[in-house]
Amino acid sequence: MPLELVKEEWMGKISEVTIGATKEEGGSRTSVVTVGGETGLSFLPSESEMPHRPVVAMEVWDVVPEDWPEEVVKPFKEVMDDPARWSKKCVDEYGADLICLRLQSAHSDFGNVPVDKVSEGVKKVLEAVGVPLIILGPGQDDRDNEVLPRCSEVAKGEKCLFGDATQDNYKTLVAACMADGHNIIGQSPIDINIAKQVNILIADMGFPLERIVIDPTTGGLGYGLEYTYSIMERARLAALGAGDKTLALPIICRVGQEAWRASQGKRERFSRLGHSFGTGTSVGSNYSCFPSCSRGRYPHHASSPGRGKCEADDR
Amino acid sequence: MALTGLDIYKQLPKTNCGECGSPTCLAFAMQLAAKKTSLDKCPHVSEEGRAALEGASAPPIKLVTIGAGEKKVEIGNETVLFRHEETFYHETAIAIAVADNLSDDALEAKIEEIKKLHFERVGLSISINLVAIRDTEGNQERFAKVAERIEKETGLSLILISQNPEVMKAALQVCGERRPLIYAAGRDNYESMARLAKEYSCPLAVKAEGLEELAELTQKIASLGVADLVLDSGARDLLKMISDLTQIRRLALRKSYRPLGYPTLAFASDKNPYQEAAKASVCVAKYAGIVVLEGTEPWQVLPLLTLRQNIYTDPQKPIQVEPKTYEVGNVTDQSPVLVTTNFSLTYFTVEGDIEASKVSSFIVVVDTEGTSVLTAWAAEKFTAESIAAAMKSQGVEDKVSHRKLILPGFVAVLSGKLEEALPGWEILVGPRESSGLPAYLKNTWKT
Amino acid sequence: MSECKVTFYPEGKSVTVEKGEDLLHAAVAARVYINSSCGGDGVCGRCRVIIKKGEVVSDPTGRLSDGEREKGYCLACRTTVKTDVDVEVPPESRLEEEQILTEEAKVSRLAGLYSRAEEIEVISEGKESLFTHSPLATKVYLELPPPTLQDNISDLERLYREIRRGGDIPIMQTGLANVKRLGHLLRESNWRVTVTLGKRNGTVEIVFVEPGDTSGKNYGVAIDVGTTTVVAQLVNLNTRQVLSTKATHNIQASYGEDVISRIIYASEKDGLERLHHAVIDCINGLISSLVQEHNLSLNDIIAVMCAGNMTMTHLLLRVDPSYLRREPYVPTANFVPVIRASEAGIKTNPRGLLSCLPGVSSYVGGDITAGTLASGLSDSEDISLLIDVGTNGEIVLGNKDWLVCCSSSAGPAFEGCGVKCGMRAVKGAIQRVEINSRYEVKYHAIGEGKPRGICGSGFIDSLSELLKAGIIDRSGRMKKGLETPRLREGEEGLEFILAWEQEAEGDHDIVVSETDIANLIRSKGAVYAGVSVLIRSMGLRFEDLKHIYIAGGFGNYLNIEKAVLIGLLPDIPRDRIHFIGNSSLTGARQAMLSYEALNKVKEIAHKMTYFELSVDPIFMDEYTAALFLPHTDMKLFPSVGEKLGL
Repeated sequence: MPLELVKEEWMGKISEVTIGATKEEGGSRTSVVTVGGETGLSFLPSESEMPHRPVVAMEVWDVVPEDWPEEVVKPFKEVMDDPARWSKKCVDEYGADLICLRLQSAHSDFGNVPVDKVSEGVKKVLEAVGVPLIILGPGQDDRDNEVLPRCSEVAKGEKCLFGDATQDNYKTLVAACMADGHNIIGQSPIDINIAKQVNILIADMGFPLERIVIDPTTGGLGYGLEYTYSIMERARLAALGAGDKTLALPIICRVGQEAWRASQGKRERFSRLGHSFGTGTSVGSNYSCFPSCSRGRYPHHASSPGRGKCEADDR
Repeated sequence: MALTGLDIYKQLPKTNCGECGSPTCLAFAMQLAAKKTSLDKCPHVSEEGRAALEGASAPPIKLVTIGAGEKKVEIGNETVLFRHEETFYHETAIAIAVADNLSDDALEAKIEEIKKLHFERVGLSISINLVAIRDTEGNQERFAKVAERIEKETGLSLILISQNPEVMKAALQVCGERRPLIYAAGRDNYESMARLAKEYSCPLAVKAEGLEELAELTQKIASLGVADLVLDSGARDLLKMISDLTQIRRLALRKSYRPLGYPTLAFASDKNPYQEAAKASVCVAKYAGIVVLEGTEPWQVLPLLTLRQNIYTDPQKPIQVEPKTYEVGNVTDQSPVLVTTNFSLTYFTVEGDIEASKVSSFIVVVDTEGTSVLTAWAAEKFTAESIAAAMKSQGVEDKVSHRKLILPGFVAVLSGKLEEALPGWEILVGPRESSGLPAYLKNTWKT
Repeated sequence: MSECKVTFYPEGKSVTVEKGEDLLHAAVAARVYINSSCGGDGVCGRCRVIIKKGEVVSDPTGRLSDGEREKGYCLACRTTVKTDVDVEVPPESRLEEEQILTEEAKVSRLAGLYSRAEEIEVISEGKESLFTHSPLATKVYLELPPPTLQDNISDLERLYREIRRGGDIPIMQTGLANVKRLGHLLRESNWRVTVTLGKRNGTVEIVFVEPGDTSGKNYGVAIDVGTTTVVAQLVNLNTRQVLSTKATHNIQASYGEDVISRIIYASEKDGLERLHHAVIDCINGLISSLVQEHNLSLNDIIAVMCAGNMTMTHLLLRVDPSYLRREPYVPTANFVPVIRASEAGIKTNPRGLLSCLPGVSSYVGGDITAGTLASGLSDSEDISLLIDVGTNGEIVLGNKDWLVCCSSSAGPAFEGCGVKCGMRAVKGAIQRVEINSRYEVKYHAIGEGKPRGICGSGFIDSLSELLKAGIIDRSGRMKKGLETPRLREGEEGLEFILAWEQEAEGDHDIVVSETDIANLIRSKGAVYAGVSVLIRSMGLRFEDLKHIYIAGGFGNYLNIEKAVLIGLLPDIPRDRIHFIGNSSLTGARQAMLSYEALNKVKEIAHKMTYFELSVDPIFMDEYTAALFLPHTDMKLFPSVGEKLGL
């Protein structure tokens, strides 16, 4: 008797987001990247399609990072003072699909660099590499709101992916990205409901849902990875099963940032365990192959210990 | 199908007698639905009620025990496809494969490596669970000897891998009493392997080429009287593994398909050690009951064990951090001291915000049984007394030279009592929301 | 020990206290009620008073500015007296009027309770008469045959025999005090007496015997003992007629706003005493004013039936409430026996009875079991829901076979507390708001006069109107840059002006701030999440609810449509949603008038299953989902989606 398999028939589909625009499309990229488009759960080709592979972006700062672990700094030491050269190295030597440019220099603790100079830097990176750009503000609401609109203008037509729109601060960035034709990251602090709420708020301003990418905030392995894992599964189930368009969006995960957040002590201990921290390989790479996590996300390998956002509602 | 509390309630006597320990029949029914109590506690349930409830509660995936004693391994009995729907109950067992043709020295080295594969994490000890001994030459004596030695020296339960019933029997003669997993019954040898499994009361792995053959085999073996089976669909390619493991779980849970209602086994073996770790992590997330690895490097195994611990955490239970004094950044005796609860989301929020402030600080974590600040306060778990006790037992006075403690703004009412409970300390009321900490530490804090 | 005289102005009320007593306690003793949310911990800064004369010692506090300190401001709870002092209590530090009389109540939220209860009387006449009329206390006029040599049983047995002619009463008891007086009394009154019979814990007691026929004078008082408000209703036990209803603020509020603060306060020295006396004072005040109004004597009050949350019941009976807030959250007593009201300090007929309705758990008390009775939820096959919106939002779900309940800490925002221009629903409170597309505002304040602030129903209206007019987004944040002077940057961020200073009573604009909105969204989110968890836990859907009964503070003025629009109430057909006002008071009255109803409340308490939300894993999830207008999942609010064009 033939075995009848249980195949899911999903009603939803993840939207496709294209990052980058070639000359013909009004930009200057030599390559573009499309993510999303899945019609089912991950890696089950017999029941659904997964038209686009996950892509990898590498993170570049526009200021020399102060306290990055040595293992991460090593391969980039020579170029870290020049974001353009740094980006070029990521693409030429390591094959990055995208560059994720963090405008950390605008941060009040990292130089508070004026808007003009920051946007000038964006221009230089755009000139230096042909791959599409993810552009992140310094993560301070007031500075983000000053710097990002200008950078959006400078990069007009390039269809970058800008971040982060958060529940507390989304209006300025959404307006800029809407005017200049960019995509946007809706970020939420490890919470399925807020993930959805941010997308609704962005869309309520008239921004097309199909140009939003979800950043659910990725907890590191041993630091709450399972929360993010379940949020991704829940988001996909809602999108595919219940046809929830506000969650039917590609996901971006900043795994490197979280992986390297592990304290110095942990890293030393790990080194003692015999792991060599080589070029571009982090502990994070082990779990970047999760079936349900890895669809349509971009693990940034090299990354900062950065800001971890995870606000528990403390009632 | 799992019964809801109301479904169960309908079968109960509805007397609210309280003899089961729950205040009402409905409360008892909800406990039963959540599998937190057993029907035996109800002295008044009717025969029909009992029959109806027991029929519905048979597990769709069999619980299989490998090994005996303290280090026995239980797999199966899972009830959901996604952990957020309930939880995953029995952690994927991690097995390390050892070939029986290693030289004695190499074997000794391997055993030493295996013995090191246990770690402490967040106050819990995590380790691999099984050793899989692979028959390479059909040498009965050698296989039995290696099995015996490994079991004795590692104390771990075993998987015996051989297609040859004679070789298998030799090993079972020396270690069959401790219920190793027999791997594997296939199309050609299932009758003799089933006989061995019965004779030694051991669990039996069934290996087939594809799910259909697997289902046929398990039915035949079950009819021979072997109940504890573990499934291997034969897939070795990652994509096929995900697909098979998913189908087995779906068929068991959604269709109550008994022939595949058993836990599974997957080989993650790969020449590339990174690839192997990656493959194994997929198997942990997607439904393997056992995953067999070749590698014994701690850097391969620890992340896998950590991942397993993460994935198998009960998402319905609040995650707690250890109650102790944490240091964020490069603290000195002048660094600020903040107090919070041991609910991990609360703690990590505070930690993250302190990091963002770049003001190195101490965080004193009070044991509030994993509740957040206000909940703990309301339930009297975060009080002046408990905070003062934590400050003392954690020796905070020796860590700093100042005497100022920052209290979460939401429990500002505790400040008066806390000053009484901590003589010599000045209690500063911090911001209500953790997000206010960077500004507070940068602008307001002064020693 | 030296004593000091403290005089509070503008009332000019004086009190003598020991030197070193703090002003907050002195004020309570003088019956001057000062705001204090934190219960005297020096944290909330709401108990500011001005020292006009005399010497005091004030602890340092960050709650006052230097300028204020120079003007003589200090915090009453942190200030102790050294000499005789004169203290001025400024209006903002004052609890609102101590007692709201019936006349005033007509223009207050309490009028809502009052008139609503009357309407319910009409509506639920059928329901109420479902229960046989068998009040907690009955009076029977008896004309006893005098004893003869043949009929020579004792006086007491004679009395029993006569009483039993009226019905089968197997067990009867009488206290020694009554027996002692009996022989004389019967003969003095020429064997014509009125006997008051009380139902006490399964037996019938002769409460007392009076000469002549006083059977017409049989009154009882039903009381809703709320955390914030105490409401008492005078009822003729013979005719079931409601004579009048009065309310007062629970003066325990001086020791803390919520039950947790009061439980903490109770554990302090004299704390339990003080809280107990505070609530008893409230009750005695209400009873005596009810009695005066109807030219009755306290002796005519034979029965008192109280319904309150578990903390209130404990404090009323002077039982230590501290275990209520400790895991596993168990009360000392759920089913309190019927006692003499005088044992608790309540002034009625000295032998009058007091019964407190049983609760379910620490956070679901007799007010909710009473409400369940009053709503009729437990009499029907249909699955229905009761929501009592107060500082704690209690929720009951079920039908005649089963009942589940939970308590969700909604916070006091809907009662007008913890929000910038919030106030209780008394005269001057804005209760209806409309905002048009040009951001013009129309409002209506209680009592037709100038507005002083905004009450709960006014906030619900505001939220809904701000959303509809596009002034706030669905997360409750205001949209900067709108072309209206009403939207401006205030002290605590953006705010929207409902009433300009010149239209208002007082010296400031009446505003709704972004922070207030966040607060209100948390409140409505907690209520909705509680409902949602309860329904989901039972494997039900909102559509399965045949009725939703809303009880509590804003009953009368709540605009259902707007409450649904902001996601406080689920989006089900509006004709299934009913406001039943103060269901706790109604239930208490029913239980006082019918022993059958009282037993029914006990049965409800016995079979109700309590859900502890704080340990429920899905609550947090449901809560975050509900922190959006109306909700994160619009599928749950189809009619709102249509209305907002989403």
